[in-house]
Amino acid sequence: MLEARQLMVFYENMLALNNVSIRCEENQIVGVFGANSAGKSTLMYTLSGIMEDIRKKEEMAGGERISVLGDITYLGEGIMGMKPSKRAKKGIVLCPERRRIFKECSVLENLRIGGYLATPAQAKDTLEYVFNVFPALQKLQKRIGGFLSGGEQQMLAIGRALMAQPKLLLLDEPLLGLSPLIQAVLVRATREIRDEMGISIIVTEQYARPVLPIVDYAFILENGTAVLEGTRDELMDNPDIRSAYFGIK
Amino acid sequence: MQILIYGTINSVALALFALGFAMVYGVSRLPNFAHGALYVLSGFITWTFVNSLGLNYFISILLAMFVTGIIGALIYQFVLIRIRGMEISEIMATYAIGLAILEGLRWGGFRGMTYTLPAFIEGSTEIAGISVDYQRLLVVGIGAAVVAVLWLFTHYTSLGLALRGMAQDERAAMMLGIDSDLMALAAMGFGSMLAALAAVLLLPLGNIVVEAGYNVLILAIAVCIVGGLGSWMGAVLAAFIIGFAQILTVVYLGAHYQMVVALLAIIITLILRPSGLFGRQKELEERV
Repeated sequence: MLEARQLMVFYENMLALNNVSIRCEENQIVGVFGANSAGKSTLMYTLSGIMEDIRKKEEMAGGERISVLGDITYLGEGIMGMKPSKRAKKGIVLCPERRRIFKECSVLENLRIGGYLATPAQAKDTLEYVFNVFPALQKLQKRIGGFLSGGEQQMLAIGRALMAQPKLLLLDEPLLGLSPLIQAVLVRATREIRDEMGISIIVTEQYARPVLPIVDYAFILENGTAVLEGTRDELMDNPDIRSAYFGIK
Repeated sequence: MQILIYGTINSVALALFALGFAMVYGVSRLPNFAHGALYVLSGFITWTFVNSLGLNYFISILLAMFVTGIIGALIYQFVLIRIRGMEISEIMATYAIGLAILEGLRWGGFRGMTYTLPAFIEGSTEIAGISVDYQRLLVVGIGAAVVAVLWLFTHYTSLGLALRGMAQDERAAMMLGIDSDLMALAAMGFGSMLAALAAVLLLPLGNIVVEAGYNVLILAIAVCIVGGLGSWMGAVLAAFIIGFAQILTVVYLGAHYQMVVALLAIIITLILRPSGLFGRQKELEERV
């Protein structure tokens, strides 16, 4: 479905992504694991096209020189250099790190802004589906986004991304800073979204263990380089990986 | 009572000046210093439609609003799109366009006191013993309607909600497929139309003069700074504060201090509360 080959991203002379190739097949959940500053968010920004916007703005303001090299194929089409809004239209929707919900809008308004690309019928169905996956949101419809708890905000961010009718959903650290209980809810919801909506998902995390049970295939990033990849079981068998990312001795 | 009535009228007029500016800045962070010029320009466009082409007054008004909206959108599409994100260039470019429009009009012969637009309804009435003409009442009525329509537009339509999303977090909106340039274009179009609406409502109260463009710009900026740049409801509230302060000054100090009030309001706001009444100060991003 999506294949990125030899991605290189430079911030000035600093290499943020070094020759990273990843792919995600139809109906797969792909994990990307790595520590802080391993390049997870850079990868997500590059795939979703936000990096194009960052690059353009920096260039206009005479700021950091950002170069993006490599090749991304999505549904058989090269999408390098394409605007983020256009990629979203084609079905690549990013649910960003630290959620970035619209803090001054209510929960329902957040979801409706998310449904900008959807037809009214799609928006109605998806809204129903979001409340089905996250029943907690249904009761909070009128609540202002900024007053939600972290877990609720994350549910809202995922729901909002679903409203944009994704075919490939990019989840950037969805479990960051949340309690194990909420983490379990979100992980279950992620699998449900894949199973019921047929949406492919790429999910990044620092700590792989909570999402490991639902991941089909995973990549490990270290200092901007993809050092290892494999199916869940293959990674589990590697003792270094087990202790470093899964917390299993 | 007189203060109450004329204060309200003045406040609504200020709100009408400022809403277009606030909308453009809120959505796209573009300070549109050509706002006042667009205001005057739409007045002359209406005048030309009525007097040179002999069109019906109300059709001329609608046409003028439409044309001004298109001009605003064109300014974005051909000039501002290239310099977005460079604040100083944005201010200089929009101000230069404004100057070009205003001085171009003056050069083109639109000067003096001969250009006027007729009131929608002639005549006046008395409220609590104070004579108020119908045009001023219409300003208040339509001004309130504009605020209501804007509120409905930004809360219930897909485009309006997208504009609000863009105003709060540009990149988050992009991730959802909302195009930043398209939204800025729409905001410039709507903002310019609001300037035109203000012009056709308020210009019949006096002459169409080029100088009004500079005053309108300063008043709009004053209202937006006091209300908090980018906040639409803040702009409405600030319009009432400055509006009443101006009328009180006129009554107790004299008419020529009116402009001083607006400028003083900018200075006081910047000293006491730089982000304005409802402004969003950039929060420190928490690293988790």
